[in-house]
Amino acid sequence: MALAGNIRAIMQTTQQLCQQRYLHVTAVASRTQAGRHRATPRRTKALTYEMANPPHYIAHRKTWNSWNTSNVMGGNRPGETAVEDIFIRRFMTGTWHALFVSDIIIKRQHNIIRIAGLVQRSLAQRKMYFLIGYSEELLSYWLQCPVKLELQTVASKEDVIFKYV
Amino acid sequence: MSLFIRLCEKNTRIILTKIPNVTASFATTAKPVDIESTEFRVLNLKSKKVENTRKKTRRVEVPPPRANQMAVDQDWPSVWPGPKTFHPAVVPIPIRQGYSLRDQPPPDKYGNTELMKIPNFLHLSPPAVQRHCEALKKFCTEWPVGLETEDKCRKHFPLEVITSDYCYSSPTIREPLSRIVTLRVKLSSLSLNAHAKDKILRLVKDKYSPETDFITITADRCPTKKQNLEYAEYLLTALFHESWRVEDWESEKAEADMEYYDWDKNKSRTNLLTLHAWPNSPTDTDWECIPHVEEYKIAVSDLFNTGEDLHTVNKYKEAVKNVLNLKCEA
Repeated sequence: MALAGNIRAIMQTTQQLCQQRYLHVTAVASRTQAGRHRATPRRTKALTYEMANPPHYIAHRKTWNSWNTSNVMGGNRPGETAVEDIFIRRFMTGTWHALFVSDIIIKRQHNIIRIAGLVQRSLAQRKMYFLIGYSEELLSYWLQCPVKLELQTVASKEDVIFKYV
Repeated sequence: MSLFIRLCEKNTRIILTKIPNVTASFATTAKPVDIESTEFRVLNLKSKKVENTRKKTRRVEVPPPRANQMAVDQDWPSVWPGPKTFHPAVVPIPIRQGYSLRDQPPPDKYGNTELMKIPNFLHLSPPAVQRHCEALKKFCTEWPVGLETEDKCRKHFPLEVITSDYCYSSPTIREPLSRIVTLRVKLSSLSLNAHAKDKILRLVKDKYSPETDFITITADRCPTKKQNLEYAEYLLTALFHESWRVEDWESEKAEADMEYYDWDKNKSRTNLLTLHAWPNSPTDTDWECIPHVEEYKIAVSDLFNTGEDLHTVNKYKEAVKNVLNLKCEA
């Protein structure tokens, strides 16, 4: 009799276990870190204006680095534009190795792509002119549209430092 | 083999002496070892300290900004002829842009990426716009005589074609939405009689707006704009001719088939005429000379067409009193 009672109790608990649902809930991890720079103990980390303003200041204190109509409402080919922009950025950082001191700005007007940015003057003028022609020629061949490089030079990296954190 | 190694060694040493700055780090590791005298490599436990010679960046001589030498009365449209990214050395204006830190002015124009990102209108100065207009003037033609006002334009060209063109910053010029064509025409501008007007309204249904008197035809089923425009024109033509056509069965329409109350074809009219001509037999010619008959006709039609409510019933009451001359003089 005692055995039967035990069995019944076990059956009940197993049934309860099966019926209950165990949903594990943790605290909300609403951590936002992207595009934000942490302060160093002695405030030695140099930031440009772009880096000093976190992403939520876009359209308030700073603007977008890519200007196009693909991402407006009803814009066409947003995916292709994004991939092309990534390709342009990679190509430019690789071709102008350690020369860009700002982010690469890509502005599209009709079928023209304008690439702008700040470049250090650590390269001879002739080499820089060669690189401009080289980049324009290759990119316009790959992207099948006119590409224009509109660069600005600064003497060194120190010229674009906005603040230290 | 040894000869080969020696040759290599020689070559590297020659290069090293030529460019000491560039390959300074290699020079420290590749210590000249006389391979011919000792067969084994020598392990240097106490390495000689070499001063860290960093590659020095060569300062490029840069002339002062062009903007400093610009004349005050220079021709700006020829300095900045077309759309271009902002360049501080070309624009002689002390612009600043950006959110400044505390107790500091906003970032100036040199090395300012914010100024490079935003679209500028430096190529659209008033003199430049004026020159554009002057250049375009020779392509313009005289405004046609007789189309001075909007009303005249609408009278002579009653058909309106509405299409959309889309301009995107992308290499493609295709946009599926640009195929849609809307055709608009006023019903009053079409020459239609009562029958044709009634028929066209039945055919277009909700495409006619009674407030504006416009018939709107939208075509978007074809892939191109031209095809859609031709289709819309075809639809309008077909509608017009179809509404003018009178089928044989239309004459068989009896009073029971009428969709609205027509007083002229109904019993009420004959009754009134009979009553008016009593005791003679009624004549159909001079019914319009009966006093207050127009008011009575409108009142009866309203009562049937819009339905019975307080307003129409009161109107009918007044009309009956007038037509039967029952109104007591106040």
